[in-house]
Parts: sequence; structure tokens; C-alpha cells
Amino acid sequence: MEDMLEDTVLVNLRVNGKLHELEIPAHKSLLDLLREDLNMTGTHMGCMTGHCGACTVSIDGRVAKSCITLAATLSRAKITTIEGLTEEDGTLSPIQQAFWDEAGFQCGYCAPGMLMCTAELLESNSDPSDSEIETALAGNLCRCTGYQSLKRAVKAAAVKAKEKAS
Amino acid sequence: MSLYPAFARPRDLGQAAEIMGSLSTGAMIIAGGQELMPSVNYGALMPEVYIDVGQIAALKGISEEAGAIQIGSFTVHRDVQNNDLIQSKLPLLSYAAAQIGGGMQVHNRGTIGGNIVAMHPLYDILPSLLALGAEVDVLSDVGEVRVALADLMKDARHGLGSESLLVRVHLKPMMPGAGWSYEKLKITAGGYGSANAAAIVTLDSSKITSLRVVVGAVSALPVDMSDTLSDCCGQAWSAHLAEEVEARSSAEIKEPLSDHQGDGEWRRAMAGVMARGAIEAAIKKAG
Repeated sequence: MEDMLEDTVLVNLRVNGKLHELEIPAHKSLLDLLREDLNMTGTHMGCMTGHCGACTVSIDGRVAKSCITLAATLSRAKITTIEGLTEEDGTLSPIQQAFWDEAGFQCGYCAPGMLMCTAELLESNSDPSDSEIETALAGNLCRCTGYQSLKRAVKAAAVKAKEKAS
Repeated sequence: MSLYPAFARPRDLGQAAEIMGSLSTGAMIIAGGQELMPSVNYGALMPEVYIDVGQIAALKGISEEAGAIQIGSFTVHRDVQNNDLIQSKLPLLSYAAAQIGGGMQVHNRGTIGGNIVAMHPLYDILPSLLALGAEVDVLSDVGEVRVALADLMKDARHGLGSESLLVRVHLKPMMPGAGWSYEKLKITAGGYGSANAAAIVTLDSSKITSLRVVVGAVSALPVDMSDTLSDCCGQAWSAHLAEEVEARSSAEIKEPLSDHQGDGEWRRAMAGVMARGAIEAAIKKAG
């Protein structure tokens, strides 16, 4: 049975399109892998209990809280982080631009979660209602905006995304 | 033993049972991680071995066989919410899964199995599963056994222990025309409830013919009120009956939780309010 136990785990992760092969300790969270091993600090460490959402990334097209995701369970996953939202030429994506225009953040700590959840919402819903936005952002805490500018930002992002698609 | 935890990745149920049987209590099963990882991050739990069950095909999928619906324990909340079979035949469960706290991120990774074995008083799925009369398959090194979820919960302290694995959930489809509701008293959109209740009601003209009600988030485990309230059957819903249901449901909560979600006396009162509200809402949907 001992032969079924691994002390370190080999994971292959495609992060923002780039393949990384890493040998990691079993207990490493995806958050620590991104920040410590890949130096991608756009994904923020907040509560470490899954409440605040600042550590949100997308795993195989679905948002997740990276602080409560064990990296070793993710072999061959495709991860998109906040850094991966930016356009290839380095300009802001329509969603990022909408958050900038509508002051959808103040200190910016919650921004990774808010933006990643908005991106996932708008993929399946191009014209979300207030309550759909609330549901989509429910896993994220913001202590600056009072959430009103976030709602405006998501609506503006929906308009920008539609303009870009047309 | 290394200072750091080890990792095991069984490929099938046989390997999983073998690994679980051979390891000490320090081994812990990890699926979505939404229950385990917060405890690990805060040092409350320190697994010596993580058993990753994500590769086991038998834990996945939703299917219908011989008039019953099987849900693999690795099914994430989002798939419970959006699955056509569950939406059409178990709408209560689909709705309850959508009320789980933690937002879209947790819905995408948290599993129905994890939610069950956590047996956390504030979680959202147990009241509905108990109201639906769920059964579960549990695997250990002695094999797989099928038990009523209600019986499993009577035995369990916290979860199943490190020697057992929840494999799948069995549910009978809800009766056509049954009304249902899951009511959750909560302060914020993604938050825990301070009291909740799941109800399933069938009517014959306006009289109640069957009633299942389970109240959660007010005591260590959900409380099934169905027997206590069984004499509602044969009666039509009225203001008087509603008051009686509320009072009797509250009285059933012998040891209310008293925590940051609210003090015990208030929780007991809210247990009645939620039971009454859930039945009322279910009756409106029945027909």
C-alpha cells in the first residue's frame, strides 16, 4: 500500500495558456502555487476560509476559490487568473475597462474575484439582471464600494462585451 | 512518516477501499476541498494523507434506473442545480443546491457528497435530502452498504470517519403534483442561514394528503418534523393550523444552537416560522 502514497505530486497546469510542470508538496493550495511558484500575485490571499473570494481563479472554465483548492488534485487543469483576462496586446479587456470606467473597485483587493465571476457570468448571460449579478458575485466580499458601483460595472461590461462581439 | 502529508490517488473504488483500510485516522478524503481546506488552512485539521477521489468514475454522474435517481457523490452543486433530470424530477433538490452559500465558486467545486458528510448544521442540502427520503451507498473495507441517510446521521459524529467513503445518493422522484419549498432565513446573499426548512406537500382538493418537513440550521443536525406534524394530513391549511404548526415545530427543537447566527431562543422561534413558511409555500405550488 505504501507504493500508492506520494510525498510530492507532479502536476501539469496550463495557466493563462502557458504550460507549467511542477513537483509540489501534497498540501499546497492552488493559491500558494500561483503566488509562490509562478510569482503571479494578481490572485490575492484574503480569508483562507473560502468566504471572501479574493483568491478566485477559473479552473477548466469555472470559477473557484484557489485558497481552498488543493493544487495536487488539479493535474492537467486549465487555469485562468486575473492576469489572463488582459488582451494579448496588454490592453484591458472589455470587462476590466468597464470596472475601471465605473469605479468597480477602490482598494482592488477583491477585484480578482469580482472580475473572474463577472467573466463567467457574461459567458452565459449577455444581459444579466440585478439579481443575477448579485447571485454571480455572492461569493465575493468588497469592503469599499458598497457593491453599487460593482453592479454598474458588470452592466457596463455586458454592454462592452456585446459591442465587441458585434 | 514525512513531516509533510502524503498524497494518494485511487483509480477506482477497490483501490479507495484498500487505501482507506490500510491507513490510520490521519488520512482524509478530499473531493472538492470546500469543507476540508478551510479547516486545514486554519490548522484545525492536519491530514497525514490526502486521499484524492477525483479520479474515481463511479463517484460521478447523475442517472435514472428502475424509477430511482442516482447522484454520484462527486457531483458538484452546480451540476445538481442545472441537471435536467434533477430539475424535472427533484426540483426541491435543484433549488436547495442553488441556495448553498459561498457563491458561484463554491457551487463549482463543492460536492453533494462533501456537503452530506460534513454534517454541518448550517449547510443547505441535508434538510431537502431528508425530506426526500434519500438513501446513500457507503463504501468501507468491508464493502458497500446502502443505508437511509437519516439512519447514517443518527450514527455519525462528524462525517463518516476516515475509513468510509460516500459513493452515491439514491432518491425517488417527487410525486407529480407535489408542492415543495426550501425556505432559508439569511442575512446576506451568499451567507449561511439562521434557520431553514424543506417541505414537500401533496393535496387532494384543498386537504393535505402527505407532508414532509425538515428544519435545519437550528440544532446540531436537521430535525424531521414529519411525524410530529402528521396529523395535518386530512386537514385544509388555515390560519389556525399554521399557528399550530409553528408552535409545535418550535417546541420540537430541544437543544437550539446559539452562535453567531443568532441566540438559541430566537433560533427556536425561527424554526417554527421556517416550517410554517415552507409548508405554506409548498401548498401554493401543489396541484
